[in-house]
Amino acid sequence: MRKPAYGSLLKRLLALTALVLALAASQAQVFDGQPLVSARLLPSKTAIIPGQPFEVGLLLEMAPGWHTYWEYSGDAGLPTKIAWTLPEGFQSGPIQWPAPHLMIEPGEIWTYGYGGKVLLITTIVPPTDLPAGKAMTLHAKAAWLTCKDICIPGSAELELTLPVASTSSEANGELFQEFRSRIPSAEPPPFILDWTSAAGAWDLRIPNLPAGAKADLFPLPPEDQSVGHPGASGPGQFRIEMNGPFRGVLTVGEGAETKSWIVESAAPRVAEKQGLWLALFYGFLGGLILNLMPCVLPVISLKIFGFLKQAGESPRKVFAHGLAFVGGIFTWFLGLGIMVVALKSGGREVTWAFQFQNPWFNVAIGSVIFVFALNLFGVFELVLPGRASTALESASSSSGLAGSFFQGAFATLLATPCTAPFLGTALGFAFSQSAAVILAMFAAVAAGMGFPYLLLTARPGWMKFLPRPGAWMERLKQLMGFPLMATLVWILSIVGGQRGLDGVFWFLCFLLCLAISCWLYGSFCGPFSKTRSRAIAIFLAVFFAGGGGWYFLGEKFAHVGRHESGGIEWVPFSARELSALRASGKSVFVDFTADWCITCKFNERTAIDTPAVRQLLRDKKVIPVKADWTKANPEITAALKNFGRVGVPFYVVYPAGRAGDPIVLPELLTESILLEALKKLP
Amino acid sequence: MKKALALLIVLATVAHAEVGKPAPDFTLKSSSGKEVSLSDFKGKVVVLEWTNSGCPFVQKHYGSGNMQKLQKDAAAKGVVWLSICSSAPGKQGNLSAEEAGKTIAANGTAATAYLLDEDGKVGRLYDAKRTPEMYVVNKDGTLVYHGAIDDKKTPDPADIPGARNYVAAALDEVLTGKPVSAPTTEAYGCSVKYGR
Repeated sequence: MRKPAYGSLLKRLLALTALVLALAASQAQVFDGQPLVSARLLPSKTAIIPGQPFEVGLLLEMAPGWHTYWEYSGDAGLPTKIAWTLPEGFQSGPIQWPAPHLMIEPGEIWTYGYGGKVLLITTIVPPTDLPAGKAMTLHAKAAWLTCKDICIPGSAELELTLPVASTSSEANGELFQEFRSRIPSAEPPPFILDWTSAAGAWDLRIPNLPAGAKADLFPLPPEDQSVGHPGASGPGQFRIEMNGPFRGVLTVGEGAETKSWIVESAAPRVAEKQGLWLALFYGFLGGLILNLMPCVLPVISLKIFGFLKQAGESPRKVFAHGLAFVGGIFTWFLGLGIMVVALKSGGREVTWAFQFQNPWFNVAIGSVIFVFALNLFGVFELVLPGRASTALESASSSSGLAGSFFQGAFATLLATPCTAPFLGTALGFAFSQSAAVILAMFAAVAAGMGFPYLLLTARPGWMKFLPRPGAWMERLKQLMGFPLMATLVWILSIVGGQRGLDGVFWFLCFLLCLAISCWLYGSFCGPFSKTRSRAIAIFLAVFFAGGGGWYFLGEKFAHVGRHESGGIEWVPFSARELSALRASGKSVFVDFTADWCITCKFNERTAIDTPAVRQLLRDKKVIPVKADWTKANPEITAALKNFGRVGVPFYVVYPAGRAGDPIVLPELLTESILLEALKKLP
Repeated sequence: MKKALALLIVLATVAHAEVGKPAPDFTLKSSSGKEVSLSDFKGKVVVLEWTNSGCPFVQKHYGSGNMQKLQKDAAAKGVVWLSICSSAPGKQGNLSAEEAGKTIAANGTAATAYLLDEDGKVGRLYDAKRTPEMYVVNKDGTLVYHGAIDDKKTPDPADIPGARNYVAAALDEVLTGKPVSAPTTEAYGCSVKYGR
């Protein structure tokens, strides 16, 4: 299609629309004189932009009562297939199937498919080198099975011709939006999925389904794998008979409100025997290392001498005291463990079924690890509540074995500021495990911590091998912070995989706020700080942590990856492109930016890529052009020089229809400045 | 849903066909009026073919002569071939004994017998959901294959020559005493037209 040398926007749009409509000719499957299914290929854009993927949909309109089938058709039926014949260099992706409906036929025959109409969307990627102005034809052979009481196979040879251009606008927007929203999301659903594997079957429980919501599960088994019907054994409970891992689609809601997600069964929750023993061994080691912490080491020899004094020369009695002491340690740790298990399973059945697949779990545990690392580095100290210490102190002053028992518990309590980071971290990982595993972990740590006491009370002579307390203890404590930071780096990489660079960026912003809060607490909330400064510090700490959490996590992190439809489609900058666009009578907004330019990235996030700006760009039909100066580009350098600039960011708006008079926007761009400028456009 | 659950419970209590287990016995009337039981053929290899003459996928194999050829080859090797139709009265594929006789003659079917399963009891016993759905029972009465007739899941007869025929392969292996290499595959075709 030749570009008009002049002519209004409207004329061009009309011409394009007519072209697109005319070429979307439909084919109908007719049986006994009745049309059963009519098939059409529809584009999502009015033109092909070289290198830019676009969507094409196969629209199947079925007569009442007739159905076509989903990616997995179920007990009968056959999924629709599309075989593409594309011009050179073009690539087609797989069909993006909307969530299906269940159809049950007599004999317990369950099939999954569609009635009424369905748009099966495929993404087509054109090559980057396409001659502009040429028209490209895409061919597709669609084959389907349509059934009501009987089944009739159908097929159609369809084609779609689109022009190649440097810009395009939306076509069939409503239809594509309707069916795009029905494609199951690859994100995990906002529900807890509790998978348990029974013999030859999977049980899925969704404890926090909204009351009265309709939930359906559709399986996607691998080829030739038989799978039973996902039977609902209660609200939000399904049982699927099959061997091997389950993968499928979960839909919640009805009609237009239905939302769907791809779900997979989690790996079996029973920790492998070997892995369990290794984890327990590490817990034991951790407990041992705890004895080297500044809170604990100086106390060890004191305690042992105390036992020796009490028991006199009898080795057995000394050892008995040691046992009692260790018993106190164990009781304290197991008590903590029972509390955790109770928290986990009690109450509103809130299963803390956190898995690393959930980005929010990773954010939570990453934050906890970060705070603990700061504690180990000495940014702040954990202060024990006064009352607990006094109570235990009085109990442990009694002599005899009971006294030693309470001394063990007290010693562990005193050690909490040093042990909390390790326990907390280990807990986070153990949370998803069963109660038995959690208790075993606590017991292992207790064993590790109590071990030296047992050893030394059995052989008091070995006390001469105890390391002398010194400055090295504080350094060891700080050193222990680094493994925690390494764990944080690993968690950041997982979050990066889940929510991308943006997600990691916002999470890091939140961690920065958290660090400021910890420093405030540590610097101003010690036992010797004035009440006033303590109050101010606590207020500021809460403000930073809370505000940071609300803004960076709640507003920004939560919305990463949720691209609202119609994100800004930037056109790459080139001098030729710019003059072509201006000649075509469109307004153009040029964003000169670079990846290494912090101001540019900040402006893009806060001032440019916002819903209001996107809407205004669409309404005013402004073409957004991005001049990416990340790598040296002489054209962009020249363009900047034209305006007497040597750096980025730089923002220009070229109003349509008036040669010259581009509007330059300030570097510190705000959303309102940009909106004002866009509003003034014709 | 409750009805379905109840039915499932009832069905579950009856021994269902499972590959590797003995094939459940049954008795059905044939198109020639005789009573035929699976146990009649103990000591022989038996093929069960669920069929529906109106289904395009069945027509793919009968129209091209593929099914008849399979049946003839099987008969030559001493294999018993039972075609079973579980279509309920009034539904597609349901044929009276007389109509069935005519269809058999017109098609040149070489099956040992065509059995009428109008109430769908045997179909449900074998969990037959599609047509064509194929089962192979060995000489000891054990079910050794359940699934599709071949691996090209289309209604197009042109796909038959290039397809891997699971039934022919299973018969070869069973008759030479080898274990069946693909004992379960997913059948393709129209749904069996049960009554309720």
